[in-house]
Amino acid sequence: MGLNELGLNVEWLQWNQFTVDLVAFVVKFALLAGGLLQLPPLLVWIERRVPALMQRRRGPNRVGIFKFRLYGLLQSLADTVKLIFKEEVVPDGAHKVFYHLAPVFCVFPAFLVACAIPYGPDLNLFGYVIPLSVVRVDVGFLFIFAIASLAVYGVTLAGWASNNKYSLLGSLRASAQMISYEIPLGMSLIPIVLIYGTLDLGDIVKAQSTFFQWGVFSAPFSFLLFLVCMFAETNRAPFDLAEGESELVAGFHTEYNSAKFAAFFLGEYVSMFVLSCLAATVFFGGWQVPFVKYDTVVALMGGSVNLAAIVCHIMLVLKATFFMWVYIWVRWTLPRFRYDQLMSLGWKFMLPIGLANIVGTAVVLAVLRFR
Amino acid sequence: MDALYAIPQLMFYLLAGLVAISSLMVVTSRNPVTSAIFLVLDLFFVAALYAKLDAHFTAAIQVLVYAGAIVVLFVFVIMLLNLKPDALRGIRFSVGEAVVLLVTLIGFVIIGAELASPVPEGLPAGPLSVAAIEEAGGNTHVLAMRMFTSFLWPFEIASILILLAIVACVMVARKEKPESGKHNLKAGAGR
Repeated sequence: MGLNELGLNVEWLQWNQFTVDLVAFVVKFALLAGGLLQLPPLLVWIERRVPALMQRRRGPNRVGIFKFRLYGLLQSLADTVKLIFKEEVVPDGAHKVFYHLAPVFCVFPAFLVACAIPYGPDLNLFGYVIPLSVVRVDVGFLFIFAIASLAVYGVTLAGWASNNKYSLLGSLRASAQMISYEIPLGMSLIPIVLIYGTLDLGDIVKAQSTFFQWGVFSAPFSFLLFLVCMFAETNRAPFDLAEGESELVAGFHTEYNSAKFAAFFLGEYVSMFVLSCLAATVFFGGWQVPFVKYDTVVALMGGSVNLAAIVCHIMLVLKATFFMWVYIWVRWTLPRFRYDQLMSLGWKFMLPIGLANIVGTAVVLAVLRFR
Repeated sequence: MDALYAIPQLMFYLLAGLVAISSLMVVTSRNPVTSAIFLVLDLFFVAALYAKLDAHFTAAIQVLVYAGAIVVLFVFVIMLLNLKPDALRGIRFSVGEAVVLLVTLIGFVIIGAELASPVPEGLPAGPLSVAAIEEAGGNTHVLAMRMFTSFLWPFEIASILILLAIVACVMVARKEKPESGKHNLKAGAGR
């Protein structure tokens, strides 16, 4: 049955590839943005309960509805409401425009990058093929790095516009760190491009159809480099020098409060999620179900491509969830680096290893292909 | 109905307008940080125009290199110098600026004449037409093949030139090291 027979037709809307793409784009973006907005409250709750477990404390466990405490899950809801309704205090010496714009610069790239991740195999609705990423860019990697590199401006502007020396120091630290670790992050993925011969994230996932074709097996060093850079790029512990409390109060967002402070949180958690998805996509087969080929998944689901897509999507979410867990796990396990250690790790250790990794992979690939 | 199909074209005009506005803001705003941020936006919108032409690779590199790396350094320098907007106000119109203005005007006239001349109908045929590129495996693929086959030597020479520039920069910026630690200690003790 085609969409045109569904009775959804109005005079100004005829279903064809163009209009379907347009509507699918809007729906997918709304779903994605809506989903991403749910992330921070949940993650904040996890980030408070998990360390409580690790350190044998209780953590937030009071807020609930009447007698149902739900393990304190509603604490995040209460906190969000509080953050939104709090009085906004703008420092006198702040540059008003950029002070208000900086959180936007932080959130916008994070959401835009999330659009390029392939969240599952193609859907087939009413005879139209709908890819499960908001936009399909044939240079997926580069798109992600390009947009993610814009997040630096949010941090830099926030620090500068606040007119506070701790903010400025924190933002300088954060942006120097982000720029430095972008390079090994990019380099860690070049072997993947060499191995799979494409920059398209969807094609890379398709190329990892069997378990031992996963990126983590074909490029293990890349994965280790990526894992370290992942933490540095999001300014998370052990690389959270941008907000080193003992030295800088709260770093670049010292002067921010209420909803704008929450926006920085949102940006951080969304970019954590995107990098987790990227790690899962590039190194752990993306939406591929481990040990089961996609065709088999479709067969198991009674030949329905759409049911298989849902299963595969859940697979990706599970894999990404694991990496989010790693973020939190590491944060409560490792102490913070010193700033000079961070810089020398980035430039004197990660960069040469990244270069050697590229050359090594290229040589091995050349030998294998010549044989 | 027709309005819906006009969205891609409307997007072009929207982006073109944004490029024009942000470029104007770069040169007219008083605050250097504002200029720098509008420069970022400008580069970003130009990249969006590239992406609209299906030149995804060029778009991504444009944002990655210019907006994501080079202008960040501009912003750093501007922020650390902490120029006051007032410091820029009293600049007179110098001879150099007049020359620049004149050359710009001439450039506009030339480009305008070029734009006013009749455009050939349809898209060009040949190995770089839309259909041929699609056939050969997409824009990025064709670009890479060209760059690493027919233009390999220029590409390599450019990279060596850039390397030379980097080494030269490091040499220029390098501080003279103090002669030895001992000497410095003595100088400190004598004070």
